[in-house]
Amino acid sequence: MRPILLSGHERALTQVKYNRDGDLIFSVSKDQQICVWYAHNGERLGTYHGHQGAIWTVDVDPTSTIIASGSADNTIRLWDIKTGKCLKTWEFPTAVKRVEFNEDGTKLLGVTEKRMGHLGTIVVLDIIVDVDAEQSDEKAMTIVCDESKATVAGWSYLSKYIIAGHEDGSISQYDAKTGEQILNYPIHELDNAITDIQWSQDRTYFITASKDKNAKLITAKDLEVLKTYVSDTPLNSAIITPKKEYVVLGGGQAAMDVTRTSARQGKFEARFYHKIFEDEIGRVRGHFGPLNTVAAEPNGKGYASGGEDGYVRVHQFDKGYFDFMYEVERERANRIGVTA
Amino acid sequence: MAAQAKHDWADDEDLDDSGIQNAAASSGIVDLPPTQKITNKDGSTTIIEYRYNDNGQKVKTTRRIRFITHREVVNPRVAERKSWPKFGQSAKDGNGPAPDTTSVGENIIFKPSINWRKDAKDESKDPNAQAMKDKLKDKKVKCRICNGEHFTARCPYKDTMAPIGEAADVAAGGMDDGGDPALASVGAAGAGKKGSYVPPALRGAGGAKGESMSGGSKYGERDDLATLRVTNVSEMAEEGELRDMFERFGRVTRVFLAKDRDTGMAKGFAFISFADREDAVKACNKMDGWGFKHLILRVEFAKKAA
Repeated sequence: MRPILLSGHERALTQVKYNRDGDLIFSVSKDQQICVWYAHNGERLGTYHGHQGAIWTVDVDPTSTIIASGSADNTIRLWDIKTGKCLKTWEFPTAVKRVEFNEDGTKLLGVTEKRMGHLGTIVVLDIIVDVDAEQSDEKAMTIVCDESKATVAGWSYLSKYIIAGHEDGSISQYDAKTGEQILNYPIHELDNAITDIQWSQDRTYFITASKDKNAKLITAKDLEVLKTYVSDTPLNSAIITPKKEYVVLGGGQAAMDVTRTSARQGKFEARFYHKIFEDEIGRVRGHFGPLNTVAAEPNGKGYASGGEDGYVRVHQFDKGYFDFMYEVERERANRIGVTA
Repeated sequence: MAAQAKHDWADDEDLDDSGIQNAAASSGIVDLPPTQKITNKDGSTTIIEYRYNDNGQKVKTTRRIRFITHREVVNPRVAERKSWPKFGQSAKDGNGPAPDTTSVGENIIFKPSINWRKDAKDESKDPNAQAMKDKLKDKKVKCRICNGEHFTARCPYKDTMAPIGEAADVAAGGMDDGGDPALASVGAAGAGKKGSYVPPALRGAGGAKGESMSGGSKYGERDDLATLRVTNVSEMAEEGELRDMFERFGRVTRVFLAKDRDTGMAKGFAFISFADREDAVKACNKMDGWGFKHLILRVEFAKKAA
């Protein structure tokens, strides 16, 4: 496969997102602008300007009408995808590290940083998915994380729970209506921050990435660890690929240590694991720095990765990727083929 | 590809000094030749465009494009989004990907495999080690000094007896595993200046096999069709670096860099085996004369070890 390199950012990428149809890619970096790209050819559709600080996160609503972004300038902003216009700004006392729409786009959660005497919080905003609508100023709910700040968070299936990953390596489950903490398990090693949570397509389970070099597949309902993927480098991002039963992990040495090592030792590769068998099945190299973020194409045809090197690489999988099967999988496929 | 068409740098000087009229005359007001579109025989189209750059210089851009119609059915929402006007920093970009933000990376071969890690290791080490072992199984160690069954370096007569190659007649007979009459005659003729240094690049030039190859016979009949001999390699070179350099042309199955046993420094030559001979040809053409660590590499196909 020939990856497409997107070089619209001048600084390290922080998050990359596909919209639900898989035709647009949104990328944010520390250089204060959001870029949107056509996924099929890497053409840049536009940029969104207004943030005054590094942008940590972006998310797109399910209808691809609006996007939300969270930044180190202590705001969450809502943008019209088509025109690049900023529709709404919410101010917070500290930086916003993660935003995510729920399944139908009516709610948005934001994770705010713990700093300057303010505790880390998860805020929920009501959203009207319409470019012309007047968005509410009020926060629908605020969850305060008084033990360990949340680093990432997301909505489970049916917007029933909010799942948050914490700096101390624990995962918690909150009731999405009341904000009450239901569960909190120390799933990753103590004091190894959870760096990413991404969902399966039906949002019944998710994958976490952590600085403890492991990624775990966890159920949303009772936070049961289903699978563990062990790697040899701190992880920044993990995805579950649709269509094929793989997971992709992205990571690499911390940015501050990079100058001391060569690119090969730096382990700046996307690692593919089989979702069920937990085996590593291959790597894709290309980045010159650690991978900060990985995003799966919703149709399972490819993935995009954003690195500390400022590039987004968009990959379309070859036939070999789709053909690969374990022996047991092949046997099963053959059996089904015979009976059908 | 941008070529500056018929614009002398000397004119630029004038242009700066002599004010607005001149500047206006040479920057923008003069009409540009119209964009040309030429349809080539092979179905591609050549587009020649002219424009002025920021310095008022005329720039000619020649692009050769082949249009391939690729039909894809997408849902209406996606189709609609494809017609959206660009905005923000991309507002001025034309149709299609802008070259300053979008480029295509090198081809990456990615094939999931259960034992990909083992595969990667195997191809670098194991087959060679195995092949070497097989070849060495029925070979005997032979001393060059006394023909005894030990290494020359361990010979008890090392300091007292001259090696067999010292005298011309012994040289011809002594290189029994060389067996090449041409080499024997070279050895005989050059016996007087035996100790003189012959650069690695010249060793193979006389039509005889290189001196560096004399040890190569023990590697046996490896597939030499896709093996390159690289000479004039820096002492500081590492196998990994060579591998990186040659992997660009295709799958490298083996990299052998001769190293001094004691110092660990490279001896100045290496062998690179490719999985595919065509890749090897490509690599040979490209890498011959390539500068690497202050030295210019010489790359040629390895000759069959006699």
